[in-house]
Amino acid sequence: MQILRKTELKAYKKAKKIGQKGVIEILSKKGLVGRGGAAFPTARKWQFAIDTKSDTKYVICNADEGEPGTFKDHLVLEKVPENVIEGIIIAAETIAAKQAYIYLRGEYEYLKPKIQKAISSVLKRSGSKVKIDIVVGAGAYVCGDETAIIKSIEGYRGQAYLKPPFPPVEGLWGKPTVINNVGTLANVPQAILFDDWDPHLRLFSLSGDVTKPGIYEFPMGVSLKKLIELGKPKNPVKAVYFGCFGGCMPYKEILLTPENVCGQNCVIGAGTIIVVDNTHSIVDMAETIAKFYAFESCGKCTPCREGSKRCLDLIAKIQSGKATKQDCDTLLDLALHIHETSLCGLGQTATNHLITALKYFREEFEQKCKLH
Amino acid sequence: MQITLDKRQIKVEEGKTILDICKERGIEIPTLCIFEGLKPEARCRLCLVELNGKLVTSCSTYPHEGCEVVTDSPLIKKHRMINAELLMADHIATCNMDPNSHDLCKIIEKIGLTRIRFDPIHKYKQDLSESVIRDDNKCINCGKCIRACGEIMDVHAIDFINRGHNEKVSPYSEHKLHDVACIKCGQCVHACPVGAIYEREHLYEVVQALKDKKKHVIVQTAPSVRVALGEEFGMPQGSIVTGKMVAALRKMGFDKVFDTNFGADLTIMEEGTEFLKRVKNGGPFPMITTCCPAWIKFMEHFEHKLFPNMSTCKSPHEMLGNLAKSYYADKVGLNKKDIVVVSIMPCTAKKFESTRPELKSDVDYVLTTRELAKLIRTYKIDMTKLKDEKFDDPLGESTGAALIFGATGGVMEAALRTAYELGTGKTLKDVDFMAARGTDGIKTGSVDLDGKTIKFAVASGGANIRKLLKEKDKYHFIEMMACPSGCIGGGGQPWPTNKAVIKKRMEAIYAGDKGFKLRKSHENPSIKKLYKEFLGEPGSERAHKLLHTHYHKRDRF
Repeated sequence: MQILRKTELKAYKKAKKIGQKGVIEILSKKGLVGRGGAAFPTARKWQFAIDTKSDTKYVICNADEGEPGTFKDHLVLEKVPENVIEGIIIAAETIAAKQAYIYLRGEYEYLKPKIQKAISSVLKRSGSKVKIDIVVGAGAYVCGDETAIIKSIEGYRGQAYLKPPFPPVEGLWGKPTVINNVGTLANVPQAILFDDWDPHLRLFSLSGDVTKPGIYEFPMGVSLKKLIELGKPKNPVKAVYFGCFGGCMPYKEILLTPENVCGQNCVIGAGTIIVVDNTHSIVDMAETIAKFYAFESCGKCTPCREGSKRCLDLIAKIQSGKATKQDCDTLLDLALHIHETSLCGLGQTATNHLITALKYFREEFEQKCKLH
Repeated sequence: MQITLDKRQIKVEEGKTILDICKERGIEIPTLCIFEGLKPEARCRLCLVELNGKLVTSCSTYPHEGCEVVTDSPLIKKHRMINAELLMADHIATCNMDPNSHDLCKIIEKIGLTRIRFDPIHKYKQDLSESVIRDDNKCINCGKCIRACGEIMDVHAIDFINRGHNEKVSPYSEHKLHDVACIKCGQCVHACPVGAIYEREHLYEVVQALKDKKKHVIVQTAPSVRVALGEEFGMPQGSIVTGKMVAALRKMGFDKVFDTNFGADLTIMEEGTEFLKRVKNGGPFPMITTCCPAWIKFMEHFEHKLFPNMSTCKSPHEMLGNLAKSYYADKVGLNKKDIVVVSIMPCTAKKFESTRPELKSDVDYVLTTRELAKLIRTYKIDMTKLKDEKFDDPLGESTGAALIFGATGGVMEAALRTAYELGTGKTLKDVDFMAARGTDGIKTGSVDLDGKTIKFAVASGGANIRKLLKEKDKYHFIEMMACPSGCIGGGGQPWPTNKAVIKKRMEAIYAGDKGFKLRKSHENPSIKKLYKEFLGEPGSERAHKLLHTHYHKRDRF
C-alpha cells in the first residue's frame, strides 16, 4: 500500500531545502487534495493561511474519524504515525505556525501513547521547533467538522459555527489555522518525496455484510463490484451505503468516482462502503442510522435538532406497523427539509440515507405501513 | 453593488446581509434568533431566502455582485413552514397563542401554519426564582437569552446543556436560577422571542392587599416607568404619562401614590454628602453608586474587593419604602404593620432586592412596568382617557435631577449637580453634564470642585461594567447600571425594548428634566422639610440607620 510507505524524515529535509514556495508548488503540481471527503486542494488551503498576515498561526490534524464504517485514519495512525507527524511539521513550517494540535477521536484514546512517542521521536530527529499537542475529543460526531474542532479545542461546546471567515483566515483563537485530515497529512511527505506517488489512490473502508471487511487501497474510479467481491459477501448484496450519511443505492456496477456516486444521489465522502445483503431490512438500517443521528446532532439549529428526533419517531412508528403511507411522505418531507436548511455539514448530510432509501427502497417502508 | 431582489434590479452597499437589505426595503422576513448588535448565529433557520436558486439564511448571507435573491417562493414557503412546524410542536402545548405576546406566534400567524404533524415531547419543570421564571416547555433554543446573559451582561448564568433534541437552556450543572450567580437583571426576558422567560408576578398579592380594608396600601413609581408605560397602551414611544399613571393608580384604589423620585432626591442628598466626605478624607476612591440592585448582586458575586468602594446608600425605592413606614406612618398615626408598600419598577432585580433580609422588607411587593400595565387592563381602566393627577404629599415632590435617574448617567449627573453646590457653596451655571448623557456603554468626564478635579465614569451593561472596572482606579466617582442604557432599558420594561425605543425613552427623560423648575435635589422643599422634621442632616446617625445598608459576599457559582 502506498499510504504505508515510510518517508523517514527525508521529505522534511527536502521541504526545508525547497522552502515554502517549493512545497506549495510541488503539492499543487502533484495534485494532493483533502482526504476528509471534501477533496479541497491542499496547496490552496495552505496558501490561504500563508497569505493571511499574523504572527501566530496554527495547524490542526483532524483525527476525529467519527463516521460509522470508516477506519482509514485509524490504520494510518496505527501503522505510520511518523508520516503524519512529518506531514504536520511540514505544514506548520510552510505556513509559519509554531503550534500544532492533533484532535484525536475520543474512542481512539488508546492510540495516544503511540502518537506521543512518534511526536517526540520525530521532533527529536528532525530538530523541528514546532510544538505538537494531542487534544482528545469527548466523543461527539459533530467535532469532525473543522469549525466544531476549533470550538472544542478552545474549550467551548463542540458546535459548528458559520463560515466565512474560513479557518485559514480566522480559525483557532481567531488566528489563521490549517485543518487537515490524517490521510491528507500522511500523504504530504509522500507526495513531496516520491516521484512515483499516485494522487489517485484512495483508501476504501469496506464493512457490513462481507466476510472480509477492511481497508482496501484503490484508485478513484475503481469498480464497485470488484471492491465488494474482494470482501466476499455471503449472501446476495441488496444495497450499498456510503457511510451512514453518504446515502445508499441499490447494488449495481458503477465506477467509484465522486461524479458517478453523485449521480446515484449519494456522496462518496471518505470512501466508506457499508454492504447490506438481502437478509437485512432497509428500514432497520434507517432506524439504526436515525438513532445515531438523533444522538449526535449538536442541537444548534432547528431543522437538525428537532428534525432528527422527529425522523427517529416516524421511523419507529413505521417499524411498529402503526404508520400510514402519509407518514412516509412526512418522513421524506422532513428529510429533504433537514438536508436543505441545516447549518453545518452534519445536518445537511444526515438525512441522505433517508432520501435515497425512500427513493430506491420505498416499498420496504410501505410494506410496514397500514393499508390505508 | 448591483443585485436582483425579487426580480427588481437594485443597488446595495457592501457589508450588509440580505436580511438587512430586505428590512430597509420593507420586505418582511421572519426571524427569531437575530440579536440586535451581535453577530448572527443562524440557529432558527426561519429567515430562508433563495440566493441564485439555493436556500440560504438571509441573516448570515452577504450578497455578491450580480446575484439573484428571491424572498418569496413556494420552496421558501414550504421550508419556512416545516421549520415553524418543528418549533411549534413543543412550544404549542403551553403557549397562549396570542400573536401580540411574542415573536414566534406573530410569525406563525404570518406564515399561516395550519397543521402540526408532531406531538409535543418535552416535559420540563419551570425554573422559579425570586424575580425571573424560565419555562423550558416554551423554549425553542434560539440562544438569545444566553447571548444577552453572556455577551451583553458578561454574567454567564445560563448556557446550553446536553445535545441534539435534549439540548436546553440551563444554569450551570442543572442548578436552579436562584442557586447560581444570576444578577436578575431580566435582560433575558427582553431577548426571549417566545415568552419562555418572564418575571415572577406579584399581581395577585397586590390585588389582595388592595381588597383588604385594614391595609393602607402605598404605591411608588420609578422615574423610568412614566416614560415607558404609555407604550403598553398604544401611545407613541417616549410619551410621558406621569399624570395619567398617578390617576390610574388612584383609581385602582391605592391609598397613597408616592414618587420614587422623592427617594431619588433623597439618595442624592445622602450619596452626595457621602462623596463630599470621601473627598475631604481622601478616599476610598472610586466611590460607586448603589441604586441598581442587579449591579449590587453582580458586585456581591464577582467583585468582593469593591466593598469599601461602594456607597452605603440604599436604593431610592427602599429609602422611600422605609420612610413610608417610619416618617409617614408617624405623621398620619398609622401602625407600620398595616402599611403595604408596592413599588412599580422597570426592573426584575428589584423583586429580588425586596426579599433581602437586611432591608427588612420595607418594600412589600415590586411590580414591573409590564405588570402595572396588566393590572390597569385587569381593572378595565382606559389609561389614554384619564385626566392628569398629581402625586400625594409628603413623599411625592421631586426635581428634574431625580427624573434622570432613569437613564444611564443620570445618577451621576444628579449627584454632581448637588455635590458641586454643597461642596463649593457656589451656584452651578450649567446643570447639564453632557458627558454623562447618551446611550454609550461607557462615558467619562471630569468636573472642577474648588480646584480639585473630580474624574467620573458611567457604565451600563454588564460587559461594559467589567470593562470599566479594569481601569476603575483612574476615577473618583463611578455610576454603574446593569441594564444597557440604564433603567429605561430595564428587564421589566414594556416589550419590545430595543435600541430605538430606548433612545425615545431617553429623549423623554431629558425633555422632562428640562421642564422642571427645580433641577437639583437639594432644592426640593419636601426634602428640606424631611431633614428638618425627621432626619436632622444628610449623613446623620438617624439617616444612617434608616437609609443606608451593607453587602454580603456571594459565591461566583
